[in-house]
Amino acid sequence: MSYFAVALAWLLVALALMVAGVGFPAVHLASPDTLILVHVVCIGWLSVAMCGALFQFVPVLVAKPLFSEKWALPGLGLLTIGLAALLAGFLGLGGRLPAWHWILPAGALLLIAGFSLIVVDLGLTAWQRPTGPARFVLVGLASLCVTVAFGAIFAFAHAGRAGPVGEAMLASGVPLHAIAGLGGWLTLTAMGVSYRLLSMFMLSPDIDDRKSNVTLAVGALAIAIAAIGGVFAIWLSFGLNVVLSVVAVLSLATIILYGRDVLGIFKNRKRRQLELNTRMAVLSYISLAASALLGVMLILTGAFTAQLGAFVFLAVFGWLSGLVLAKLYKIVAFLTWLETYGPVMGRTATPRVQDLVSEARASKWFVIYHAAVWFGTLMLLAGQPSAFRAAAAIMTIGIVGIVREIIRTRSLADVESTLRLPGGACAPHLLFARN
Amino acid sequence: MTEYIDVDVRPILRAGGEPFSVIMAALERLEPGQGLRLYATFKPVPLFAVMADRGFAHSAQPLDAGEWEVLFTPADTKPAAPVAGRPAFDAWPEPSVRQDNRDLDPPEPMVRILAAAEKLAPGETLSALLRREPVFLFPQLEKRGYRWLGGFSPDGTTYELTVRAPS
Repeated sequence: MSYFAVALAWLLVALALMVAGVGFPAVHLASPDTLILVHVVCIGWLSVAMCGALFQFVPVLVAKPLFSEKWALPGLGLLTIGLAALLAGFLGLGGRLPAWHWILPAGALLLIAGFSLIVVDLGLTAWQRPTGPARFVLVGLASLCVTVAFGAIFAFAHAGRAGPVGEAMLASGVPLHAIAGLGGWLTLTAMGVSYRLLSMFMLSPDIDDRKSNVTLAVGALAIAIAAIGGVFAIWLSFGLNVVLSVVAVLSLATIILYGRDVLGIFKNRKRRQLELNTRMAVLSYISLAASALLGVMLILTGAFTAQLGAFVFLAVFGWLSGLVLAKLYKIVAFLTWLETYGPVMGRTATPRVQDLVSEARASKWFVIYHAAVWFGTLMLLAGQPSAFRAAAAIMTIGIVGIVREIIRTRSLADVESTLRLPGGACAPHLLFARN
Repeated sequence: MTEYIDVDVRPILRAGGEPFSVIMAALERLEPGQGLRLYATFKPVPLFAVMADRGFAHSAQPLDAGEWEVLFTPADTKPAAPVAGRPAFDAWPEPSVRQDNRDLDPPEPMVRILAAAEKLAPGETLSALLRREPVFLFPQLEKRGYRWLGGFSPDGTTYELTVRAPS
């Protein structure tokens, strides 16, 4: 729960920055202000939320307890301090803070320490039964290591301590960092987790491992080519273009294969009536398909570099954030239900998981959020920064609504008072979950 | 090198039988220093504790289709000595309750199993069919002192769980 709370807090920070006009599109894509925004979103919000979800989910995937429960909280602490140091470093680059040379490398080292704890913990857990979705998680964690390694090289290069190769990496390696992070770590992990969650909530048979393995293999190949091929291309001073084109084709193939798998799960489902988390996940799939389509169109028209911001925005907020929010809504409800009523279940009447949430009220906030994301993407494409800020403001309204629903779930506010706390049950704490 | 005697209880499990007596019979036939190589349709976790009591270390590795090969090797310090008396997992009675929870929305199967388990008399068992390994249910059962055995059917579509009330 602490991970989810910290992640949502960073998301609100990111939205506040966007509404305030900090970073792209008000300033250039590579400017320090944009770097701040991007890292708040990708580390603070998405990575922290993903790690929190994986701590709950990987033990379920492999039916084994987590390697070490004790590492989760120090990991979160290191990530939070590391991200703060990184942001201070970017503020220094932008001249908003004194330029302390040590702070970017220090932030990088703290983030390495935090992510290492998490990667080792989750990796050792997933390794015990590396089948199906657990393989996606392992590849995602490997991509996370690649992303962090690139980031650390950049941080040291900014401090002038990475040598000429480091300088060259910083000059042209940023796309590789972004591909490993957004594509490998966040997208492949989200895909893996979604396979199991979707089939679980829709009562659909698990997707055949052979099918999902093909999807994973193509995705992993794309990341490997980006990481290894990209480093060689920079090292030998070739252009990155060939590598990036191959990666683009493979990424598109991965999305298409994933789409085929997800459609299969939807088609074979036993449950006709879909829950909110699945319906809202569909909206994020629409965004994923739309980003793929947008990417292809931008490449074909030669406008990809110019419109990179819109493409990344749709992928990050429509696809990744949309999926994470939808699943978070369900995960919090389920964990709260299990925590509160598990000990007394079967002995006395307990509410159902559905009684902890009000889907009708929550879906309104999700729809507002997604509509605002799509509107924001269009405004970025049309080059309308003020309208984009309005979209960010509407997104914030949606998120505040969703956060309020999650807090209501956690505090059992929607459960009828006769059932709320039967004898022996004890009310959950907002931020800490008992296991 | 330890010599292993093969025991394949997969046919018994597939037929819905209880393989415990077969395993124990094989154990009694072992010469000192010999080990047991067990083939089962699921990872026989409860058996590990029983075998450890008798001085066998285990190492399990998954085979295809959810099946397992488990090596029970006599520990050097404690020679394998078949112990008389009632083994821990012997003679579970026929289930007094049977549930088919395969088409229920999660977490309804867990609620139903816990509710039914609460009504069992001491030592009675219930069996339930599920679509997934009920990983969230196990800790709840253990906290209440229940024992359980479970595994996937050979085709991997149905998980069979047997729960026994504390006697």
